[in-house]
Amino acid sequence: MSATTQAFFERLAERGYEPLLHGISGTIRCDIEDVGSWFVVVNNGSLSVSRDTVGADCVLVCSREDFDRLVVGKQNPTTLFMQGRMKITGNLALAQMFQRLFPDESLSRGKQG
Amino acid sequence: MGEKTTVSVLEGNNFVVSDLRGDIDASPTEPLGLFAWDTRFLSRWLLTVDGLRPNILSTDDLDYFYVQFFLVPGTGTIYVDADQSIIRKRAIGNGFHEDLTILNHKDQPVDLKVRIEAAADFADLFEVKDKLTKKGEFYHRIESDRLVLGYRRETFIRETLITASAEADIDEHGLSFAVHIEPHSQWTTSLDVVIRLGLLDENHQETKNGHGDQRARSNVKRSLEKLSEALPRLSCEWPSLQVTYSRSLVDLAALRFYPLTLSGQALPAAGLPWFMTIFGRDSMIASYQALPFTSELAEAALRALAQRQGTRIDDFRDEEPGKIMHEARFGEMTAFEERPHSPYYGAADVTPFFLILLDEFERWTGNAELVQQLEMEARAALTWIDTYGDRNGDGYVEYSRRNKETGLENQCWKDSWNSILFADGTLSRLPRATCEIQGYVYDAKMRCARLAREFWDDPELAKRLESQAAELKRRFNQDFWLEDREFFALAIDGDGRKVDSLTSNIGHLLWSGIVDEDKAEALVRHLMGPKLYSGWGIRTMAEGEGGYNPIGYHVGTVWPHDNSFIAMGLRRYGYREEAARVAMNMLEAAAYFKGRLPEAFAGYRRELTEFPVEYPTACSPQAWASGAPLLLLRAMLGLEPVGDHLVVDPALPRTLGRLELLDIPGRWGSIDAFGRGRVDTSTIGDRIQPGKGKDETR
Repeated sequence: MSATTQAFFERLAERGYEPLLHGISGTIRCDIEDVGSWFVVVNNGSLSVSRDTVGADCVLVCSREDFDRLVVGKQNPTTLFMQGRMKITGNLALAQMFQRLFPDESLSRGKQG
Repeated sequence: MGEKTTVSVLEGNNFVVSDLRGDIDASPTEPLGLFAWDTRFLSRWLLTVDGLRPNILSTDDLDYFYVQFFLVPGTGTIYVDADQSIIRKRAIGNGFHEDLTILNHKDQPVDLKVRIEAAADFADLFEVKDKLTKKGEFYHRIESDRLVLGYRRETFIRETLITASAEADIDEHGLSFAVHIEPHSQWTTSLDVVIRLGLLDENHQETKNGHGDQRARSNVKRSLEKLSEALPRLSCEWPSLQVTYSRSLVDLAALRFYPLTLSGQALPAAGLPWFMTIFGRDSMIASYQALPFTSELAEAALRALAQRQGTRIDDFRDEEPGKIMHEARFGEMTAFEERPHSPYYGAADVTPFFLILLDEFERWTGNAELVQQLEMEARAALTWIDTYGDRNGDGYVEYSRRNKETGLENQCWKDSWNSILFADGTLSRLPRATCEIQGYVYDAKMRCARLAREFWDDPELAKRLESQAAELKRRFNQDFWLEDREFFALAIDGDGRKVDSLTSNIGHLLWSGIVDEDKAEALVRHLMGPKLYSGWGIRTMAEGEGGYNPIGYHVGTVWPHDNSFIAMGLRRYGYREEAARVAMNMLEAAAYFKGRLPEAFAGYRRELTEFPVEYPTACSPQAWASGAPLLLLRAMLGLEPVGDHLVVDPALPRTLGRLELLDIPGRWGSIDAFGRGRVDTSTIGDRIQPGKGKDETR
């Protein structure tokens, strides 16, 4: 279990309404290798997070190391995808909006230039 | 103008540039090949018959997505009557589909060795442009019925899959066919070249069309037909305008780019071959120019750019929260962060322009839904203007790149490094607040005040924006005005100095409305005077300035899109006849290019060259050049949405005679505009005299 990944999703669940996702609805499944799956349900900008299997509109698959790097701002989400290190299936518009949530400022504090 | 030596077929960011035979034989630096997603998927595609390359009879490329090559087998020497004909028909679509047919005209059967040589260098477009070498490894696979050419760098994979419908011997360098053709008979094969990115769960091992089937073509054709049906019809007694109008519309259709994040909506890519991608500036400007004709491009541009709005501070990408992106790329160098275009945000003018386009879109379409959906993005853009945009807190938006290595020094439309020069030719210092950006900010705030009041239910914001805009206008007219030369400085630079060259930027100020009424007359005198006006249009920089060069990219050339905005600015301040002249002269130039205006042409005086000299390395077609005639039509016809109505107030050049534009779409349904040319455009520049009031000139 990655502490960073765990913390990211916990903090996401605490956020409730996220203005960066205003007007957005859909479910994103993050499959993080060797760690597991998280489901982020966005309902008009309001976030809830669960580990129970629900239907997803969009699935992101990547390694634990890469996901940790996303969370702390050491890796850009777009280039991670372009390099073939993150696979995305389903609704790409939703994935494009979801990437706005990286990095988590509090987890990355002091790690950005 | 040189003889045409290449033929292109394109759809979105997928295009093939070949020679007139249909062959691709790319040198590392030649932009020949099959390109998609900023990568060259084929650098070699050579047809030989019995070891010889065919000779060309003719090429038919009337459609931008489909081309036919008519050839005869090569004889090695001069042309002799051939016993066979070769026809290649090529349609674009996720790679391309080619039908190769050989006709035997003899009374005897014939046996031929037909071969297609194929190779892929998987060059990133930046590598083609900047002559760089690859870091990964190449591979190939021969599967039962296809040749796979591949490239791998860590997990980054690109593949080209080649199949043929006829029986072929496949080796790593291509496909060979042993062909036997009976007398007066024919042989044919389909060739499919499919690209694979390995990013999405793409299952297209095939092109959009199966062997022998023309679906790829008809899909593109159908979308063009659908678009064409919805466009206004133009008729004009001056026939060149009809040609230019049709050319502009078809070129804009050809440049349509379908972002993966929008379901089936297309925005204009910037230009062929180098700029087949989303650009904040080019995509929005072309969409704005096209608004009276189609609103689909603007809607797609606004949506795609809103999705990619900056949310974090990222020095490498020049990204800031609320900032609208400049350029997105998909090639290897971008993926591995050797270039910052994922996307790159180095533009200071596009964030206010986004707000301008959003308002203008609603004015034409009455589509309140989009304005409501993008409220958060619009507010974030307004916040960017006042915070990150105004980096020194002086009330003006200025730029200075965060990315000092691969970022752009100039983040305005004149984005070459040496465009912002003093009158003595010396370079200004960063950060630079260029004048037209302040105009855009003024306009954006005025327009957002309307949106806040009518759609966002926020009259407080509306009031605040109006008062900020009024204050900006007041200060700008003092701080940027050059008393002795009677025009606005090009910029205020990092040392607080007014950059005092006379440039076309002052025309954008008229377009934005930031200019005090009593200063407009002087600006118009400069714009229409011999130092800025070449006879074909307004130069980017005036003759006589230290940095002036008639073939300098942003320091003396004439840009069609620039002129189309200036014509709108002239109209805004009541200079109808001057707007008509700018429009007429640019349309005359277009006639020399068969209706397809280049991105830029030389600033030579018209009487010196008698025809407009194309700027050497410009893209063609270029979206905002293709859009220029559309905006010029709007300027001449005086088309302005007012409430639910379209005002038509023509001031047409006499040369045009009668002009009709039928079925202009918008919130009013559709409206026809008519006019008859009455303005004598040959003498207008002479009539504006220093010191004369505006009314005396008309």
